[in-house]
Amino acid sequence: IPEGGTGDSGRERTKTFTYDFSFYSADAKSPDYVSQEMVFKTLGTDVVKSAFEGYNACVFAYGQTGSGKSYTMMGNSGDSGLIPRICEGLFSQINETTRWDEASFRTEVSYLEIYNERVRDLLRRKSSKTFNLRVREHPKEGPYVEDLSKHLVQNYGDVEELMDAGNINRTTAATGMNDVSSRSHAIFTIKFTQAKFDSEMPCETVSKIHLVDLAGSERADATGATGVRLKEGGNINKSLVTLGNVISALADLSQDAANPLVKKKQVFVPYRDSVLTWLLKDSLGGNSKTIMIATISPADVNYGETLSTLRYANRAKNIINKPTINEDANVKLIRELRAEIARLKTLLAQGNQIALLDSPTALSMEEKLQQNEARVQELTKEWTNKWNETQNILK
Amino acid sequence: MANVPWAEIREKFQAALALSRVELHKNPEKEPYKSKYSARVLLEEVKALLGPAPEEEDERPEAEEGLGASDHTLRLPAEVVEAEGPIAQGAVRLAVIEFHLGVNHIDTEELSAGEEHLVKCLRLLRKYRLSQGCVSLYIQAQNNLGILWSEREEIETAQTYLESSEALYNQYMKEIGSPPLDPPEHFLPEEEKLTAQERSKRFEKVYTHNLYYLAQVYQHMEMFEKAAHYCHSTLKRQLEHSAYHPIEWAINAATLSQFYINKLCFMEARHCLSAANVIFGQTGKIQTTEDTTETEGDVPELYHQRKGEIARCWIKYCLTLMQNAQLSMQDNIGELDLDKQYELRTLRKKELEEEESVRKKAVQFGTGELCDAISAVEEKVRYLRPLDFEEARELFLLGQHYVFEAKEFFQIDGYVTDHIEVVQDHSALFKVLAFFETDMERRCKMHKRRIAMLEPLIVDLNPQYYLLVNRQIQFEIAHAYYDMMDLKVAIADKLRDPDSHIVKKINNLNKSAMKYYQLFLDSLRDPNKVFPEHIGEDVLRPAMLAKFRVARLYGKIITADPKKELENLATSLEHYKFIVDYCEKHPEAAQEIEVELELSKEMVSLLPTKMERFRTKMALS
Repeated sequence: IPEGGTGDSGRERTKTFTYDFSFYSADAKSPDYVSQEMVFKTLGTDVVKSAFEGYNACVFAYGQTGSGKSYTMMGNSGDSGLIPRICEGLFSQINETTRWDEASFRTEVSYLEIYNERVRDLLRRKSSKTFNLRVREHPKEGPYVEDLSKHLVQNYGDVEELMDAGNINRTTAATGMNDVSSRSHAIFTIKFTQAKFDSEMPCETVSKIHLVDLAGSERADATGATGVRLKEGGNINKSLVTLGNVISALADLSQDAANPLVKKKQVFVPYRDSVLTWLLKDSLGGNSKTIMIATISPADVNYGETLSTLRYANRAKNIINKPTINEDANVKLIRELRAEIARLKTLLAQGNQIALLDSPTALSMEEKLQQNEARVQELTKEWTNKWNETQNILK
Repeated sequence: MANVPWAEIREKFQAALALSRVELHKNPEKEPYKSKYSARVLLEEVKALLGPAPEEEDERPEAEEGLGASDHTLRLPAEVVEAEGPIAQGAVRLAVIEFHLGVNHIDTEELSAGEEHLVKCLRLLRKYRLSQGCVSLYIQAQNNLGILWSEREEIETAQTYLESSEALYNQYMKEIGSPPLDPPEHFLPEEEKLTAQERSKRFEKVYTHNLYYLAQVYQHMEMFEKAAHYCHSTLKRQLEHSAYHPIEWAINAATLSQFYINKLCFMEARHCLSAANVIFGQTGKIQTTEDTTETEGDVPELYHQRKGEIARCWIKYCLTLMQNAQLSMQDNIGELDLDKQYELRTLRKKELEEEESVRKKAVQFGTGELCDAISAVEEKVRYLRPLDFEEARELFLLGQHYVFEAKEFFQIDGYVTDHIEVVQDHSALFKVLAFFETDMERRCKMHKRRIAMLEPLIVDLNPQYYLLVNRQIQFEIAHAYYDMMDLKVAIADKLRDPDSHIVKKINNLNKSAMKYYQLFLDSLRDPNKVFPEHIGEDVLRPAMLAKFRVARLYGKIITADPKKELENLATSLEHYKFIVDYCEKHPEAAQEIEVELELSKEMVSLLPTKMERFRTKMALS
């Protein structure tokens, strides 16, 4: 039974959160009901478009188990969710484009899981290398997971098969509170290569679409599920093992306080974990399209978790900030230019007919240059004559 | 009481403790709390065997109940009441069980039940909390309540419990001081009880955790200085009680130094970094007694990684200190101001006089041998701002040393972003050193070194994955060429006879600067190479500045050919115009570059006239 949607919660105190979109789908008969199709149209089509334009995209799904996260992302047979629709959108557009011979495509998928900060390939048979794959960065390939298997796919059917196979291997755990509580993050990546001819030149663009299923509980990850350090939240960590995290957070926070305007990092804070951020680095800024979907339950018994999800999504929104270029002060240049402008104004005001050269240096240098060039030309002429003479003598 | 089956109780209790200590990830994947539930069962059995809570004559639960949690815990005991006699003993033993049950429930995310047990524990012990037999347990129970309330996001309540523990510890140590019993001892036969030394060790560990929890509380309450102070104390105590892993401790100390650097507390930062070096050097040489923190099998790699990370912390120290000096000595166009330098020199004397008193107030790591080792490192590094080239150079060389060390681990293949950041720091070190250098040729050479180390970086980088980094470096290289060009112009100015050679050099630098600004601007184009109609917010200002600089650069090309001159002026005008036009269409851009826009407008109005005059001159000659 599908449940889930987003909206404002209300108890004794009303709490308000702001998001870009809010969808309600708890009651199919309600006039506000939003269908899977509508969700796809609002969010999914942009993802497909981005991929074809050569950009990366990233779709995060976060929410308490039972709040409709799986329904929203995967859906049921007959009522498919966002991911199948995105894939179908992708493949149908591929088929269209191929039919008209405009380009050729290559689609690969991989599926991994992050559990307790260890990376596991969900699409590889049990082998010695399943757990704890290393995450590295390559100058040309970007961030990648060593030995992660890649699988070619031709259509959505292939994709579905691989997803199902991977899902079986996912880590789920039972605790007293929640029987099927997923404690791992999963990233399903579609790597999409387009080869086409751009005015006679072959051109290949690669885009990646990451579909990220975030762990059901905030506790699963000390730094918060996006791996980005969340600055709020009042939990105390029991073990001194996390002293490093506390100190790191202090170093980070003091940095923001010291330089509110400058977004530059003044100090170095060794990051202890967040495999997730590392892997998604190429999608959390720059030219990528990032969508975060938070699902909550309308049931009042889930109020606490609902609030927690909403707060979390609200924070994440502000954290996935766009990094920018650091620049130096422009003061020297500005002062020079002001001086030049002043000079120009004076000269023009004088109605001077003589050629106006801005800086005195350029003037003197040009004059000198002209003198020198004339001299060089003369010298060259002299030298050439002498050489010719010599040559004549030698002949 | 006589029928109490002590042997059975003891056995079950020990078993329960053992189960409680089992690491969660050792449980089957689908039952992560299995060991906890089993422990709980045993604890409940022990509780049943112990019998009901003993009745106290002078206990007034009603009156106590009326007070809030905060009032209840805050009041320090006026006197010591020893837990003697069977009733008191019974209460204490029950309190131990309640404590463990409380913690058990918290560990399995059952906060309400956990709270109940812990509060019960406190109630049972309240009278005896300052006694040798109970103080440790009382503090631990309060600490866990602090943790519990933090889970409920009621941080002030957490703070109250934890500060109460802190106060109780201090009072106990002051008024009594003898090593208190470790709670499980109440279930041990006489012969198995702990030595005074062991008791002290465990008690101090409890207090260290207390300080650590308070550090977190203060952090959440945004009392950052206090939080840092408590972290600092935690680290200090870890050293004092030999309860640390060298690698872990060292990286924590190095990270803490970064906090101090942000606060411009360079003496404290230097102390942390020096201690980090010394302790890191202990790796493999001392016995570690703490729980392992790092993933097995990764230790050698981790050693090298941490070494590289500590090096990077040092680099930031050197860089920030030098940059801080520059900031306080530069004039309004970024050059060295001799008056300011003089002022700082005078201030220096005062700073040196105050040094001792500042040092005494700071938290110092280690005593005896350790202290000496740390001092030995500190002595080689200055913490006061460098005031001239010689002093700056010392810091530069130290920073450079750590650059090489950092690059050993952070190689480009594998750690692209980190490697690049280290190189950028290296470039920044040269840049800030150039500020102190008085000779212009030498300054030029420093910028040349910068370019030499930055240019190769972007050759192999995939622009799609490293977009931001690429742009950042392009921008920096362009600026460096620009600075070099300015320097060459200044040098040429001083020459009596500037030849075509230096003019050529100036123009080449100009061209190179333009090339990189243009590369940066090109990176903004879409996959079809079209320049965006609307420039994204995150690159707006740099894009505008790049255009501005290119406009200026065209105006600075030196040529004797009047036709070329005219061409350059036209291109310059084009670029200034772009800025003005864009800002008109996009008012938000105007806010980003107020000054540059104003100047661009001026140039747009002045250049056409200048060009006209130029044409006239050409026609005449």
